[in-house]
Amino acid sequence: MTELLEVKELSKSYPLKGHWLHKKNTTVLAPISFKIEAKKTLAIIGETGSGKSTLAKVLVGAMPASSGSIFLNGQILKSDSYKQRCQHIRMIFQYSGTTLNPSLTILQLLDEPLKLNTPFDEEKRKKIIRATLQKVGLLGDHMNFYPHMFSGGQKQRISLARAIILQPQVIILDEALASLDPSLRSQMINLLLDLQQKMGLAYILISHNLGIVRHFSDEIMVLSKGKVVEYGKTLDIMQNPQHKVTQKLLMNQTFQLKTKKQLKAKKR
Amino acid sequence: MNLLDIRNLSIELISGDKSILAVDKVSLSMKEGEFRGLMGESGSGKSLLAQAIIAVLNDKWRVHADRFHWRGIDLLRLSIDERKVLLSRDIAMIFQEPMACLDPTTTIGGQLAEAIGNDQLSGFYWQKKQQRHDAAIKLLHKVGIKRHAECIKSYPHQLTEAICQRVMIAMALARRPVLLIADEPTAAMEGTNQNQIFRLLSSLNQLKGMAILLISHDLENITHWTNTITVMYSGQFVESGTTDQIFNKPLHPYTRALVDSSPAANFHLPAKTRLITLPGSIPILQHLPIGCRLGPRCPRAQQACVKAPSITNFHGHKVSCHFPLNNKLKHNSSDKQNCNINKKYLT
Repeated sequence: MTELLEVKELSKSYPLKGHWLHKKNTTVLAPISFKIEAKKTLAIIGETGSGKSTLAKVLVGAMPASSGSIFLNGQILKSDSYKQRCQHIRMIFQYSGTTLNPSLTILQLLDEPLKLNTPFDEEKRKKIIRATLQKVGLLGDHMNFYPHMFSGGQKQRISLARAIILQPQVIILDEALASLDPSLRSQMINLLLDLQQKMGLAYILISHNLGIVRHFSDEIMVLSKGKVVEYGKTLDIMQNPQHKVTQKLLMNQTFQLKTKKQLKAKKR
Repeated sequence: MNLLDIRNLSIELISGDKSILAVDKVSLSMKEGEFRGLMGESGSGKSLLAQAIIAVLNDKWRVHADRFHWRGIDLLRLSIDERKVLLSRDIAMIFQEPMACLDPTTTIGGQLAEAIGNDQLSGFYWQKKQQRHDAAIKLLHKVGIKRHAECIKSYPHQLTEAICQRVMIAMALARRPVLLIADEPTAAMEGTNQNQIFRLLSSLNQLKGMAILLISHDLENITHWTNTITVMYSGQFVESGTTDQIFNKPLHPYTRALVDSSPAANFHLPAKTRLITLPGSIPILQHLPIGCRLGPRCPRAQQACVKAPSITNFHGHKVSCHFPLNNKLKHNSSDKQNCNINKKYLT
């Protein structure tokens, strides 16, 4: 299988205030390279300030990269080609409540990306919106509602609908599952897994919850202070972490889960 | 004797001429030195319940209870002011989002000094300032902040979230409470910080014998720390028992679904398979189902479920369901479900 998305030596740094003769830079993201295939999920984990969200923003094009290049299907993505990029790489944010415009109906919200990126007429667009809403487990008639009429889980589904409406190839989930209640979160995971199989999507998952990461991802990349400290198959890393940062992250999580194992062992 | 004993507490929210029963006959009891988890998804009324306990109430809320005792004193007979005096001495609460709860215009030292009551200080008025300062530093040491000099001088925005939450806990400890209510103390925090806060709470519980009521929306996060857990759903009592009972032998279909739906708790499930979930979403307050509020989503719902079930007690493991899960039944059914899922996954 060929690579869907390939990132080569991508980095991000900000100039610091200083004398114009000896300017200094802070590096938020050291040169990073990775590849994702279709229908695969790459999880990015790390502590706060490790550059996870910066990487997501650079990939989606909300921030220009300082150096490096991104290839999609072998073609290079320029940092200013929003039209090309926003069709293929989409992002879902953590708080769906604040990322949907409250003064627009769902129809208008979902219509916007279609209007800007496709040549379809109104009728065709409506048809696509109806189909997309049904795909994410909502009703087509929901399109006349306003965001405040939905519950948190449903809003997250609308964000997902907005992400998949342009038939993208890569979706970036920036803590998209963190603010959901557990019973809705597992529904959402099921839905995402279904869509991945159906549409051949690749996900980049940024999450703190290692339980979800273990269940959801094929590969893990561990970031620490902007550098990749570990990168490999999920199972290998979960069972046999090499780097200190990974071990610490995993220990925190297994710490919470230890009782469960112990309790289960006791039961037996 | 129970520290806190609440039987059938209901909270009505009055809006216009309608009233909504947001919390419907919830019972909760706390023993001294207990670490209890109160688990419920959004809209389950867990925060309302906590606010009713510390008597921070709105005019439009009406609280009824069959019994509401604090260390043997019937709180419902006291006036609101008397209740506040009593409770503010014995109960302290910490909130989620510590950054938002601290005063951004005052230094941490100033806010801590404010929280220390006059009755803890002795001597003449010119000695009190120094005493307050010393007490504030002591409190910071108690919650594990070593660099007290810097912390006292700084403003909330200069500190990290975990440190702010520690400061909040220090303020709560200032009155030496008997019961500490922690309302989602680690919401929106990452794993390392979460563990620090939980470890601090659990050490307070073990070393000082302080009873703690830990409110959370996520079952998998709190099971390591708590002795006992109470589960609520949509304002109704679901199940309460020891952590082991709740996690390994849940009797209520809702608790079962919560445990099953957590990917972290199901190591045996192969990656990328479907998780077991309840269908539908959490009902909103304006459209609550009658009877057992889980009814429309429950896999075991039958006709009897249109009436709210009463609480049955199995050796201290209380459950509120008409058709509680039998242990044997549970194993068979969950194994079967897993098999079916595996089959689906293979084909």
